[in-house]
Amino acid sequence: MERRPDLAVPLVLLLAGCRASGVAARAPAEPLAGLAPGEHGLALIVGKLLTMDGDDHVFDPGLVLVRGDKIAYAGPLVGVPVGYEELDARDLWAWPGMVDLHTHIHCHGWDDLNDMVRPLNPELRARPAIDPTEPLLAHARAAGVTTLFGIPGSGTSNSGFGTLYKPERDAGYEHVVLRDPGGMKIALNFNPQRGAGDVGSTWCGLAFNLEYLNDRAGALAASGRADWELESLMKVHRRELPVLIHCASAEGVADAIRMWKLRYGTDAVVSHGCWDGWHAAAFAAETGTPVNVGPRVENLLAMHREDRFVGIAAEYVKAGVQRVSLNTDSPVVPEEELFLQGTMSARRGADPYRMLRALTADPALSFQIGARVGSLERGKDADLVLSSGDPLDPRSHVELVLIDGRVQYSRRAEGATL
Amino acid sequence: MISAALVLALARVGDPTDDGGEPGAKGGSGLALFAAKVLACPYEGPQAIDHAVVLIEDGKIRALGERGELEVPAGYEVLDLGDAWLTPGFIDLHCHAAGASLFSGVNDLNDMVYLVNPGLRASSAVEPWVWDMRQAIAGGVTTVLYIPGSGTNIGGQGVLVKTAFNSYEENLVRDPGSMKLAQWGNPEGWGPGVAMSFENWNTRTTLKRGVAYAKRWLDYERDKGPQPRRNIEFDVFRDLVDGQIAISVHTQVYQVVLMTITMIAGEFHLPVFTDHSEIGGWLAAPEAVKHGVPAIIGPRTTDHNYNRGFIAWARNKHEGVRGLAAGWQELGQKEIGFNTDSPFVPEEELPVQATMGVRYGLDDSGLAALRGLTIVPARAAKIDAEVGSLEPGKDADILVCDGYPVDPRTTVRMVFVDGRRAYDAEREGRRW
Repeated sequence: MERRPDLAVPLVLLLAGCRASGVAARAPAEPLAGLAPGEHGLALIVGKLLTMDGDDHVFDPGLVLVRGDKIAYAGPLVGVPVGYEELDARDLWAWPGMVDLHTHIHCHGWDDLNDMVRPLNPELRARPAIDPTEPLLAHARAAGVTTLFGIPGSGTSNSGFGTLYKPERDAGYEHVVLRDPGGMKIALNFNPQRGAGDVGSTWCGLAFNLEYLNDRAGALAASGRADWELESLMKVHRRELPVLIHCASAEGVADAIRMWKLRYGTDAVVSHGCWDGWHAAAFAAETGTPVNVGPRVENLLAMHREDRFVGIAAEYVKAGVQRVSLNTDSPVVPEEELFLQGTMSARRGADPYRMLRALTADPALSFQIGARVGSLERGKDADLVLSSGDPLDPRSHVELVLIDGRVQYSRRAEGATL
Repeated sequence: MISAALVLALARVGDPTDDGGEPGAKGGSGLALFAAKVLACPYEGPQAIDHAVVLIEDGKIRALGERGELEVPAGYEVLDLGDAWLTPGFIDLHCHAAGASLFSGVNDLNDMVYLVNPGLRASSAVEPWVWDMRQAIAGGVTTVLYIPGSGTNIGGQGVLVKTAFNSYEENLVRDPGSMKLAQWGNPEGWGPGVAMSFENWNTRTTLKRGVAYAKRWLDYERDKGPQPRRNIEFDVFRDLVDGQIAISVHTQVYQVVLMTITMIAGEFHLPVFTDHSEIGGWLAAPEAVKHGVPAIIGPRTTDHNYNRGFIAWARNKHEGVRGLAAGWQELGQKEIGFNTDSPFVPEEELPVQATMGVRYGLDDSGLAALRGLTIVPARAAKIDAEVGSLEPGKDADILVCDGYPVDPRTTVRMVFVDGRRAYDAEREGRRW
C-alpha cells in the first residue's frame, strides 16, 4: 500500500489547546524501540487511554506510539523513545476508531444498493458501488468512525457481498479497502418479502430460497468443483468470510441462528435484532452468535407489554451474548451518530463500558478483523480518536482522528464539523 | 387493552384516594428534601445551590436554600436524597401523546373538515393513563402542552396538563393552554391549491376576526359596548388578547418564521412562540429577539447542508452539521427551549433534545440546556407562575436525578409532582 504524506500542517497545530511538551525526565518502564533516522513516528501523550484490548486496560495517563501505519505501543505513560514527534494531549482521551458493521453510505445511501431482479444474488458485490469521495464519509471520519462494512440493501434475501473499508480522505478505492469481499449480506425477514410473483412473499418462502441456495453451495463444495457464481458463498461455508444477517423479531433472530449457525455452521452475525428480537437473546448467547444492534436501540412497541422502554443492547448483554455491537444502518441513523447508539443504549440500561466495546472491539472481533482494528494494541492499525471527554457523552467532541497513522480530521484545522 | 391500562394506571401512584396523606402533598405534613445540588432555574438570579434543602408544603415549594442556613420547620418529614441533584420538572410544549397516540392508529388530533378550527379543543382527547405519559414522567417530563396536529392551518386549542396522575382534573394546568397554528409545511395537504401565500392570508384574516371578537367583549366588560353574541369558534381569542395563553406555531424555514414573528407579534401583538423553529428558521432570530418571541426547537435539532440521514432540507451553507439551538443562540435568542413532537421523538427523550443542542454547539455554560427544558418553556406558555423553576410559591414539580440531566446517562430516580411522589424508580422498577 502506497504511503502518502500527512496533511502539510505541523501536528501540534491540529489540536486545540495542546502544547508541544518539553523534554520530560521520565524513566522508561520498558524498553521501547526508537525510530530509524528518517522514519516518521508519532507519540501521543493523553489524559486517558481506552485501549479496548482483551483485558480492558485503561491508562490514566497513557501513551500511544504510532509508527508508520501501525501502533508500536499503547500503554501507561513511559519515556518517549528517540525520534518520535511528541504531542502532549493530556486534556484529551484516546480510543480506537469505531467500527460500524451495517452501513449503506458508500453510495450515498440509496443509489446502487438494491439489485432486485432475482431474489438470490450471491455473485453480487458492493465493490463497484463504493465511492470513497462520498461526502457522508467526511462526517463519518470526523465522528471517529474509521471502519465501515458497506453492504447492499435488504431488498432481496441474499443481496451479495459487502466491502470492509476505511473512510479515508483523498484516497482511492485501493487505498481505503480493508477486505473485499468483507462478508456476505443476508436479509432474512421483513424487507425482502417479494411481490414479484415468485417464491418468497412469505417468511417460509424466503427461508426455502436461502436453504436451496446454501444446499447448492454445499453440494458444489462436496463435489470439489469450482463455481464462479458461488465462490464467495463457499468461502462463507468454509468460515473464511463472515455473514451479516438482517433479521428482527424473536422468531427472525432465532431463525437466523438456527439456519446460519446451527445448520450451516457459518460465522454468522445477527444484525438489527430489534423489535422483540431480544427474546431470542439467550439462544444467541448459548450458540455463541454475535449480535449487531441497530438502527433501533430501544423497543418502543414492547412498551405496552413491558411497561418500560426496553434497551435492546442491554437485553442481549444481560442474556450473556459475548459480542454485542452497535450499528447505524446509515443513512437511517447518520453515520456520525454511531456513538449515540452507545449513549442511548447506556441510557436504556446497558453498561457504558460494554457499549464502548460495542462500538470498537466487539464488532471487529465479531467479523474476523479483530487482529487489525477495534483496539489500540501493538501491531494493529493506527486508527484512533482523540476526544475532549468520554466518547459516549454527546457533549464531548472529537478533536483528532487518525486512520492508518494519517491525520484524517482535526477540529482545530477544519473547524467543527460536528 | 383498555382495562389492562386501567389496572396499571391504578397501580401507579398508590391509592388515588390517598391524596392528602402524603407528606409534601396537599393536606399532608411538610416535606424537606436534602440533596447535594439543586439547579433551581429561576429566570433571573443564582441557578445552583449546593448542599441544599427544599421545603415543600401543600404541594407547593415553600422555601429552598443551603442546609444550615435554612431551617427545617417543626413537623416536616425529612427525606435525605444523599448525592442526588434536584431540578424542576421538564416541560414539553409540543406533545401529541397525552391521548391515543398517532402510533396507536387513532386520529384524535386532526379534524380536517375546515382549514381553520380555533374552536376545537385537544382537552377532549386527553387520556391521562396512556403509556406515553408513564414514560414521560419516568423521563422527568412533568408538564406537556398537548396540541392538535398540523393537518389544518389552525388545528385548535392545546391543553396544558401534567403527566403524573390518573385523572384529567388532577393533571390540568390550563385549558385552553394555547392556540395551535400550523403556518406552513403540512396544512398544504388539506386541499389542492393551499400553499404558503394562501395560508398566510388565511391566518391573518382569522386573527383579525378573532382579535375583533375579543375586543368587542373587552368593550362590553368596560361598559363601552353592547354584549356580543357568544361564538365558541373565537372564544380562545379572549384568552390570547388577555395574555393568558400564547399561540404555539408550527413554523419553519426563514421566511415563514419571519411571518410568525412579524405578523402575530408585530402586527397583532398577540403572545406567541415559534415551535419547531427548524430548517433555517434560526436565521430569523434577530426579529424574534426584537419582538420578544421565544423559540422552541424540535423534533429536529440540526440543519444539514447536504443529505444527512434522510433529510436534505437545509438552505444554509455551514461547513458541517448546523445545530439549531446554537444558530438561534449565536444570533442573540436567549429564550431557547426544546420539544419532542411526541410520539415522533418519545416523550421521555425530551432532555436528549437539549443534549443534542449542546452537542451541536449550544453554549451550556449558563445552563441554557436545562433552562430550555424548564423556565424557558414555562414562560413561553405563560405558566411560569406555577411551574418551570424551583422557587417559593410554585408547584413542587421536582426531579431527583443522579447527576446533570442533560447527560443522557443520568438516571431520574424519583419525580415529585404537586409534592406527590409520582414516580420512584426503586419502588416501581425503572421504566427506561
